[in-house]
Amino acid sequence: MAETPEPIESLVKKEAEPQRDPIVSRSTSAILLICTLLLMFSAGWALYDEGFGQRPWRGMQQQFTKRYVAYLKSIRKDAGKSEAEVKETPEYQQLDEEAKTALDMVKTDLAEKDRRVRQIQAKLDAVTEPFQNQRGKIVVITYKLETSHGGFWQRRFQSQLDAKKKEQVAVDLPAEGDGKPARQKMDFAQLEQTFNELRDQKAKVLGEKAELLKEPTELAKKRDEYLKNHVSLLPQKSIDDLIRKNEDSFDYTILGHQINVNQFGIVDRCEICHLGTRESLTIKASDMAPGGPGKKPDDLANAFVSHPRKELLQIHNPEKFGCSACHGGNGRATTSVVKAHGQNPFWLHPLFHKENAEAGCQMCHANDRVTQGADTLNLGKDLFYQRGCVGCHRMEAFDREGDALTNARQMISQLQEQIGANERQAKQDTDASANAGDDTEVQRLLAHADSLRVTNSQLAARIDELNLQTRYLQQDQKKVGPNLKDVRLKLRKEWIPAWLKDPQAFRPGTKMPTFWRFTEDGEEGAEDLKAVAAYLWQQSFDGKVPAQQQGDKNHGKELFESRGCLACHSIGEDDNKMGGTFAANLTKVGEKDNYDYIVRWIYNPRERWAPYCPKEHRDLTPEDYSKHGLPFLFDTELHSKCPNDGAELQVQNMTVMPNLRLSEQDARDIATYLFSLSSPTPGADLSFMDDPKLVEDGKAEIKQYGCAGCHEIKGFEEEQRIGKELTTEGATPLERLDFALITQDAEYGRDPLKLHPKDKEQEWYNHRGFFEHKLAEPKIYDTGKSRYLEPKDRLRMPKPFLTEEWRTSLTTLLLGSLGAEGANVPAALFYSPPDQRRQDIQNGWWVIKKYNCMGCHVLQPGQRVSVYNNSAEPTMISGAGLYSLPFYSGLKEFLPPQLTSEGARVDPDWLMKFLKDPSLMQAGEKPAQPSSSSAAPAASPSSSPASVGARPAASANDQSGGRLISQPGANRNGVRPYLQVHMPTFNFSPNELRVLVRFFMAVSSQNDPYIKDPMDPMTESEKSIARNIFVSGTPCLKCHITGEPAHDAKAIAPNFLLASQRLKPEWTFRWLLDPAQIAPGTAMPTGLFKKDQDRWVVNLPNPPSDVSSYHGDHARLLVRYMFLMTPDEQRRLLSASPAAPPAAATQPQTSPKTGRNYGTPTSRGSDRVDLAKRARRKAGLRTLAQLRHAHRIARKQLIDSSKQY
Amino acid sequence: METPQPNSRRNKLIGLIVAVVLLGLFVYSVQDWHQIWKIVSAPDNVPIVAMLFLVPFFTWLGVKQARANDNLIGELEGDAKLAKTHHRKVEPWRPGWAKELHVWPYLVRIEFLAAVIVTVVLYVWSITLNAPLEEPANPNLTMNPSKAPWYFLGLQEMLVYFDPWIAGVVMPSIIMVGLMVFPYVDSNPLGNGYYTLRQRRFAVNMFGWGFLMWILLIVIGTFIRGPGWIWFWPGETWDHSAVVFDRNRDLHEILGMTPANFAGHPRLLPWVVGIFGFLVVSAFFFAGGLFFHWLMRRGPLRFIYLVSPKRLWAWAKTPDPFELKLLANTSILQYMTFQFFAVSVLLAMPVKLFLRLVFTIKYVWVTPWFNV
Repeated sequence: MAETPEPIESLVKKEAEPQRDPIVSRSTSAILLICTLLLMFSAGWALYDEGFGQRPWRGMQQQFTKRYVAYLKSIRKDAGKSEAEVKETPEYQQLDEEAKTALDMVKTDLAEKDRRVRQIQAKLDAVTEPFQNQRGKIVVITYKLETSHGGFWQRRFQSQLDAKKKEQVAVDLPAEGDGKPARQKMDFAQLEQTFNELRDQKAKVLGEKAELLKEPTELAKKRDEYLKNHVSLLPQKSIDDLIRKNEDSFDYTILGHQINVNQFGIVDRCEICHLGTRESLTIKASDMAPGGPGKKPDDLANAFVSHPRKELLQIHNPEKFGCSACHGGNGRATTSVVKAHGQNPFWLHPLFHKENAEAGCQMCHANDRVTQGADTLNLGKDLFYQRGCVGCHRMEAFDREGDALTNARQMISQLQEQIGANERQAKQDTDASANAGDDTEVQRLLAHADSLRVTNSQLAARIDELNLQTRYLQQDQKKVGPNLKDVRLKLRKEWIPAWLKDPQAFRPGTKMPTFWRFTEDGEEGAEDLKAVAAYLWQQSFDGKVPAQQQGDKNHGKELFESRGCLACHSIGEDDNKMGGTFAANLTKVGEKDNYDYIVRWIYNPRERWAPYCPKEHRDLTPEDYSKHGLPFLFDTELHSKCPNDGAELQVQNMTVMPNLRLSEQDARDIATYLFSLSSPTPGADLSFMDDPKLVEDGKAEIKQYGCAGCHEIKGFEEEQRIGKELTTEGATPLERLDFALITQDAEYGRDPLKLHPKDKEQEWYNHRGFFEHKLAEPKIYDTGKSRYLEPKDRLRMPKPFLTEEWRTSLTTLLLGSLGAEGANVPAALFYSPPDQRRQDIQNGWWVIKKYNCMGCHVLQPGQRVSVYNNSAEPTMISGAGLYSLPFYSGLKEFLPPQLTSEGARVDPDWLMKFLKDPSLMQAGEKPAQPSSSSAAPAASPSSSPASVGARPAASANDQSGGRLISQPGANRNGVRPYLQVHMPTFNFSPNELRVLVRFFMAVSSQNDPYIKDPMDPMTESEKSIARNIFVSGTPCLKCHITGEPAHDAKAIAPNFLLASQRLKPEWTFRWLLDPAQIAPGTAMPTGLFKKDQDRWVVNLPNPPSDVSSYHGDHARLLVRYMFLMTPDEQRRLLSASPAAPPAAATQPQTSPKTGRNYGTPTSRGSDRVDLAKRARRKAGLRTLAQLRHAHRIARKQLIDSSKQY
Repeated sequence: METPQPNSRRNKLIGLIVAVVLLGLFVYSVQDWHQIWKIVSAPDNVPIVAMLFLVPFFTWLGVKQARANDNLIGELEGDAKLAKTHHRKVEPWRPGWAKELHVWPYLVRIEFLAAVIVTVVLYVWSITLNAPLEEPANPNLTMNPSKAPWYFLGLQEMLVYFDPWIAGVVMPSIIMVGLMVFPYVDSNPLGNGYYTLRQRRFAVNMFGWGFLMWILLIVIGTFIRGPGWIWFWPGETWDHSAVVFDRNRDLHEILGMTPANFAGHPRLLPWVVGIFGFLVVSAFFFAGGLFFHWLMRRGPLRFIYLVSPKRLWAWAKTPDPFELKLLANTSILQYMTFQFFAVSVLLAMPVKLFLRLVFTIKYVWVTPWFNV
């Protein structure tokens, strides 16, 4: 330690020279000054931050009012101009004149009334105060009297009360005219009476005044409304009001623009910045540009615009829903844009990106198949179903049939157990009763046993019903991909491995996704591929399909293009693709398929090779049937039960492709055409396909990849889905979305796929980024690690074909799939329509979308569908899929009908019948049979028309000897035989039929049930009048078919004989009056009737005399006539019709009895085929030209005639 | 007192070189600067980042003052006359200086200045960094890593080493009670009201050790623990899908007291384990007691001892007379109380941390009621 003497020396030295004390002498002023300045500065900063820094919206609001006022001023002049212009118009002048005259007329009376009111009011004023004073005092005394006890006080108050009531009060009532006020003395009763009288008088006079003003007010209102409706912008006055509001009294607070929905805890302050959202004017970004209206808009201008779809705000009132409920974001945050948009790391509901905005709809409309107005979302749902996402991923609403089927099967087995238990109990009870000594006990036991037996019979009935449901559900259950049990029958052996390797290479845009690991895994992947191919090949039905001869390729092409195939399928390659995106592109069918099988398929795609028994988990063979002495016969109607155990069988191919009811020869022609487009290429060594050693591997691989999600594969019928359930995928916490080794890239905005090249590199560590990248390149999240992983640990999702638009749509769907827990919206606001009508609509869409009805029909105005239109990539067109085809350009009449008002048009019973069998074959009617198939065994007489053709007993494995089963209702349309497009038979189950019919009724707001009113029978004179109307002017039978083949050749409208069953009279009446309003673009001429006071009369320049003398409603008469039409009447009309058709000598003859078969040649001789076809085509073309000409003339006549009146 | 100049310069140089080398190694080993920036810039972590600088600074400041006082104390001990005059503890009194300083204005103005500076800092801090509020809480989904506020992170980190009962209840209670008790177990009358190391070497070192440990736990909790409470070295990416091998066993399992070995007597095992643990912990307390008894009688440990085993041995063998005197003043109750708190916190914590992190030993003493 420091024990040396040095310190002392130093101390002594220091003592010699005194130093200044460092603490006492040091000044702290400088540092104090600096610190104080800093304090003041930071205090100032804090104040600024409080006022503006934390309230960035204040600056925005100032900008808004500035820019908005500038914009308003810029349009004010125009508004004034346009207002002045409208005021110049004679209509306005007249209205204005009327209003003024009316006002002038009552002016003197009004003045008189006003004078009266003033007089009465003066008196009333005089009397009111004394009256009220007295009344108050009396009330007080009365109260005291009521609450007093003891005789003295009661007497005292009573006397006070009496005195008060008698007390005379001086009132200065003004005299009539200008005389001096007269002082009067009144007691309380007089006061009260005077007061009431005066009040009544005043009310009476005011009422009279209002009566006088009624007419002028209404006229003025009419005038102002006219002005409002005819001025394009807001009227000048409203604009002035707006300017004033924004300049002088703009509300610069949060509360002034906040939406607060107490009920759901929604507090949204979005509108403190988005100030234009609900402005009455529609504000565009350019209107709010910083440099003045019309200049280049900046970000702020974009924030100030009106809501782009104001009609949505009508249904979703922001005062009820707020903003963030649909758009996401943090509605309460006001301190920065990032926070308000919820794009900070911890906010659970970030604002949906603009292109995914419709994800917001999905939150509440998750159970709807179609959400009106949400095209992107709807497309996403279409794709999720059509492109087979649903094969691997469960999504709640998409699993209707599957879930219901599982439930039904479980219920059946439960009920069966219950029945067994009941039976045992009943037996025990019966046995016990034999031993029971007591009489009542015996009776009790027997009664119990009886009740159990009754219960059992009820349960058995329930099982029957469930069995029926099972059958229907099985009938409705479809797979996205084809049945791979038919591989051997259908496909060329060498094509299978090539397809598996890269389906997109063979058929770009196909539904089948690319299983990239087959190629990326090198040797191992190639082995896997071989194993899968071998499994499929070996585990398939082996047999021979009936051999078919070649058909006529040109006729096939014509049929292919005209029958409606292109509503779902596309044809052509690269930039020349035409047709729908719903089903496969058929250009390369010849390269992959077996001709015979394809003919069979086109002829009836639902026809299954062998039925599948879900109970035994195997396909039945003819032996199963012969064991029980039954023919090998299965169909949806009568032979759908397993001969072994009675379970409901899968009796048809699980495809949505319908039966087009083609004749056998037509099917051959189409197949020939398709096969002419490409020819097979020789394959490599295929010995592995028959290597039984590969089967086990193949099975494992198929299981691993989940092939059975989309395909029927032997051994995988009950296979579960392999993918993640996506019902609430959007609500998955971000850190549970496995970005794996590219998390950092995502966070830093390094995008290996460059999905949004236009944007700057931006962070994609969010849900949107995850979904988009996963969809675009499913393997991306294995980046950097797949080499080290076992196959089972690697990502399995194959790469689907998706256009950019499709990817966005699917991303939107996923982003919005949040479930009740994850949604920003309280579940109470979810869309669940309480009324049956809207439920029917929602149920219907599932079926309609499932079968792609929009391929042919327009079901709602503004419908948009995705098609190939001479392009490599699908595009959206409006209308139905077929509308884009060149074949139909200019031939609107030959397109399938629009169904926008189908429910109002047709009788639901009839519609049900029609949907079940669109050929509308009468009972006992024989199907039209092409002569060439006459050798085929006749259809089982017991099978009903719409059933899948019953199959005669034959060996399941070799049906080469057999023929195709003849088709019921072959080759004709029930209602519109003139259409080339066939309404196919879809084999809807009764469930789906009901759903569809209810859908159409609900869409048209029809009553349920529909009960037909009986029609008044017509008198002879009415009949003749109606007949006259029918044939004069534009003769109805010129276009409508009658069943006479010669006449029908050029007819383009349905038969009147169907009307009574098919149509609703009220709709028909409206249709006659203005068809173009119901179905824009219809061939039916408009203006057939004109209004004559309260009735509609036929619009003819010179109507026949009996017609003009008929005083009823002509249109209604005609409706009755149509609904009571008989074949005899029609024939009579036809002969009377002035526009008798030229005899079409070249028309092929059809049986007169079923004369509505258009274009079905009765013979198919090789020479006559061509001849007949050529003739028909020629006739068809001529007919069209003639028709157009006729229509033009008829319309011109109508217009001319209307001008004469 | 030896002349410090050349030594000091050499020490500074060595310190600088070591610092540069460490910094270089750190920079070299960082894979992910973004990650570091994310941690450092999080508003939550501002106090801890500040602490990284403030704690060394104030420690340095305190040591500096203590060194000056110690020097003065040395001088005063050698000069009886000087000892009688006033001194201000920090610097030796010099002629011309005031012998007494008044609170007003000399102390108050400094306190005022401090108040102003702190106010400015708080203003700026509160303006520039908003409260790091997060999303509405979702009880079904906790964030990962889910961290306590910074001042509780030490406690949270302790959960890794002890069972929740010990780490969450017993240890904090012992620490708090210990802090309250220490003034009463202190038998040293010196060192009140001024900085000194020399007069309170053992007390200051013990407190410093405990404080440092606490800071260390907080720093680990903040900078080292990532998703899943996994150990990420600074600069490593906090990967949510990171995989680590972390096999924790109890000490008795390592030593073969497993159900497999006690297949014949499964009921015996808990007893054996319990008694074994008790013995180990008792042994630890005994050894720890001996260690502290030895440590509290040592003189100052100099750097040179660390490179010269001979001198280290001499230091370890020879008790310091001053410390012996202090020990003699301590009552047995004071002594035992101190020993209990010292062994069970100051020693047990680092030992357990070491066992857990290096030897992956989970618990030493397993009982049905608590685990140590």
